Amino acid sequence: MQALIEKIGRSVGGVVGTLFQAGRDAVDLCLKTIIPFMAFVTFVIGLILETGVGDAIANGIKGFSSSLGGLMIVCIICAIPLLSPLLGPGAVIAQIVGVLIGTEIGRGNIDPSMALPALFAINPQVGCDFVPVGLALGEAEPKTVEVGVPAVLTSRMITGPISVVVGYLFALGL
Amino acid sequence: MDALVAGAEAFIQVFRTAADVFVGFTTGIIPIVVVFLTAVNATVNFIGKDRVEGFAKWASQEGWVYMPVRYTLLPFVAVFMLTNPVCYTFGTFLPEKHKPAFYDAAVSFVHPITGIFPHANGGELFVWLGIAAGVEIVAPDTVTALAVRYLLAGLVVILIRGITTDIIYGIMSARKENAE
Repeated sequence: MQALIEKIGRSVGGVVGTLFQAGRDAVDLCLKTIIPFMAFVTFVIGLILETGVGDAIANGIKGFSSSLGGLMIVCIICAIPLLSPLLGPGAVIAQIVGVLIGTEIGRGNIDPSMALPALFAINPQVGCDFVPVGLALGEAEPKTVEVGVPAVLTSRMITGPISVVVGYLFALGL
Repeated sequence: MDALVAGAEAFIQVFRTAADVFVGFTTGIIPIVVVFLTAVNATVNFIGKDRVEGFAKWASQEGWVYMPVRYTLLPFVAVFMLTNPVCYTFGTFLPEKHKPAFYDAAVSFVHPITGIFPHANGGELFVWLGIAAGVEIVAPDTVTALAVRYLLAGLVVILIRGITTDIIYGIMSARKENAE
């Protein structure tokens, strides 16, 4: 009897402990990464909405973001193997451009049907800065890294534009 | 004097608007992310590392037949369970020649997944949220559908990326071996 009570007590304690730790990790992530970035992003949005900057950016972005061809051009530029590792870190560029395009969608300057292809068009450089580290995390040999880095960067030139088309097709009928 | 006041007014207005957007994000995004993160973190812990690794071993086998598993299911599970950037450690289970392709597939999935599962990449939410916030204003009822489509399109894209990188890596390493 006592053993049973002990067992129940222990397992309930374990479950509660896990849940509590999960909550702590969640709040930690929120405070340390999500909210700081949110502060930065909302400042950019405020700037776009309240100053003339928004209209200038809108004109620039609109030309590219309101047609599939324009998004392709954005995507191909971002995927150039010399640029992509520079645009990659922390997805900061992709996030800023995402906010810019999102703001223009909200103001009615860009059609929401372009949202999905745009999500892929602004992001063909994802992880291009991180290839050696990512491969090292997977315990790849130095020889694999040596060939793997150019292989991934080259592959993006092909799969970047394809991803925009995939996004466009998936957005049909939304 | 009036110009000065107008200038100050315009200046402070930038921050007022920014603050309004911030409040909107805080009440709209933070609560659901926190609750969701908690639930998923707990689930991942309950499922346990061993079971996830067992699955990874099965999914990383060689051969064409396993390609859809290797470049869609495996990256999905890796990113969902281990989140960015720990997910790339699943590369350990793969044959050496498939590691670059797996990395390409996994890293390309860390944003499409955030539309529905924000816990997987909490630090880089605004690729999705930035655009979603705009769609929310114009067509609020399509946001969830958009998130689902982003996820599905992401799975198709990472499969294409995995296969393409696999082929390119094959060509490049063969060329390098010939040169040596």
